[in-house]
Amino acid sequence: MTTTATTSITATSRRRRRGGLAVAALATATLAITATGVTPAAAGGGDEVIRRGNCSGSADWKLKAKTDNGRIEVEGEVDSNRNGQTWKWRIRHNGNVSARGTRSTHAPSGSFSVTRRLVDASGTDSIGWRARNPASGQVCRGSLRF
Amino acid sequence: MPDPGSPPPPGARRADKVWHVVSNPVVQFLAAGLVALLVVLVASGWFSKRAATEEAVTDARATTQLLGRSVVETALTRGVVNGNAAAVDRFDREMIARVLVGDVLRVKIWRRDGTIIYSDETALIGQRFTLDKDEVAIIDHGGTAAEVSDLSKPENRFEQRFGRLLEVYSRVWDKGGQPLMFEAYFSYDDVSRRSAEVLHAFRPITVAGLLIFLAVTAPLVYVLARRLDAAAGVRERLLLAAVEASDVERRRIARDLHDGVVQDLAGTSFALSAAARDSSGGAESSARLEELAGGVRHSLRALRSLLVEIYPPELQTEGLAAAFDDLLAPCIAAGIAVDVHVAEHADVPPQVVALVWRVGQEAVRNAQRHGRPGRLAVIVSRPDGGIRLEVVDDGVGFDLGQTPPADHLGLRGLRDLARDAGGSLHVASTPGAGTRVTLEMKRS
Repeated sequence: MTTTATTSITATSRRRRRGGLAVAALATATLAITATGVTPAAAGGGDEVIRRGNCSGSADWKLKAKTDNGRIEVEGEVDSNRNGQTWKWRIRHNGNVSARGTRSTHAPSGSFSVTRRLVDASGTDSIGWRARNPASGQVCRGSLRF
Repeated sequence: MPDPGSPPPPGARRADKVWHVVSNPVVQFLAAGLVALLVVLVASGWFSKRAATEEAVTDARATTQLLGRSVVETALTRGVVNGNAAAVDRFDREMIARVLVGDVLRVKIWRRDGTIIYSDETALIGQRFTLDKDEVAIIDHGGTAAEVSDLSKPENRFEQRFGRLLEVYSRVWDKGGQPLMFEAYFSYDDVSRRSAEVLHAFRPITVAGLLIFLAVTAPLVYVLARRLDAAAGVRERLLLAAVEASDVERRRIARDLHDGVVQDLAGTSFALSAAARDSSGGAESSARLEELAGGVRHSLRALRSLLVEIYPPELQTEGLAAAFDDLLAPCIAAGIAVDVHVAEHADVPPQVVALVWRVGQEAVRNAQRHGRPGRLAVIVSRPDGGIRLEVVDDGVGFDLGQTPPADHLGLRGLRDLARDAGGSLHVASTPGAGTRVTLEMKRS
């Protein structure tokens, strides 16, 4: 079982050095798409970074980060097109679990989303998103740098 | 010499009226009550503010200590202290949800070396500033401290938008047993609001109490003042009766002297003059008799002046002019230039004429005794149907601001008499420039 990699990035850099990182990420993502042939990702505007990808099953995931009054607002989403599925999720910040919980998909889209605010640590922040459906064993995993 | 024709200044009359109102004991009591009310308002405001400030600071200390122990210490893991991003995230959410509510506007957690390990203003996290001795002492020894924030300090630059703040420090411990300092910022508006609440709670009680006291005591003071006025009236009537009795007695003595001794002396003077003209006794005897007649006439003049002194002449029948002529005769004899002008006053009530006489008599006496004048004028005029007396001299004058000589006290008494009779008495004097006494009686 494999999870998809992110496929594109659109970001307005908060810091100049992030411009270089974005270019590097774009190149990496393009290579990943070419190598695995998985789902493309969407882009966002403004001071915002968005990643999209496919989970190990039929579900899709999305991870979005944007600045919010000195913090980073992170939104993780899973769309399985089935209502009532229970998923365990967690958000990692610089490698450690910042938040975790359990959510269920709901109508009309059969999806759920989680929003949390993270403290904007010095330097580039690494943010990870993981969701697992214990019933089916399906796993969604994505990350971004902000 | 002052202009005798000018009336007393209107400002002096206004001053008399103001003094009459100000000297009223009820007015004085109410004025004192209002002053006391103002003092109570100001003092209660000051004390309320102080009490409310102390109460608010005490509450802020207690709140900070409680939050530090129950929320901050519970969530303050080693990860937060070590700057673990995920741990700080969790701590941040805990602070926002449970500490930064209500009065608390900002929090900071300090290490002893001055590093801010956490603040809800995330730009401060990881920055280092110098801690005061008091703040270090709190980390070392515990306790709390409170003060108004100095927003000019660099660590407080993000708090300027909150306005005036009260910052409170308290010691907290992390999970590893390291002492840290928890700092919470409270809006000073809450202190002001609490002060206003305390003031609004107590001020009506204080003010109402004082107003009720004034309302209850003012009638009592009014009644007391009325009694005092009545007593003063009784005293005045007794005084007037005594004066009247004295007048009657003096009139009797004057009449007896005039009808007895004066007539006898006049007869003796005539007889001696007649005897002197009879030359049967020789020239030496005639000269001696003429000398005796002269002595008797001199005594007669002295006695008449004394009669004028001890009792006013029959003013209605002989008039003020004759009375003033007699009064001023000794002045003329002393070499003082005298002017007497008396307007027709047959229609003026006798008691007013008597008052004009008394004032004139007192003013002339004062001028003669103290003024050392070269000229002395007594003018009685009739402006607008009233009567005005002016006694003007060009003597040494005196300073009105200083206590007058004892003899001048008679004028003070006459001023009261003039006021009681519906008139006014004014004295104008300048050292070296003479004195002018003016009695003004309106038409009755």
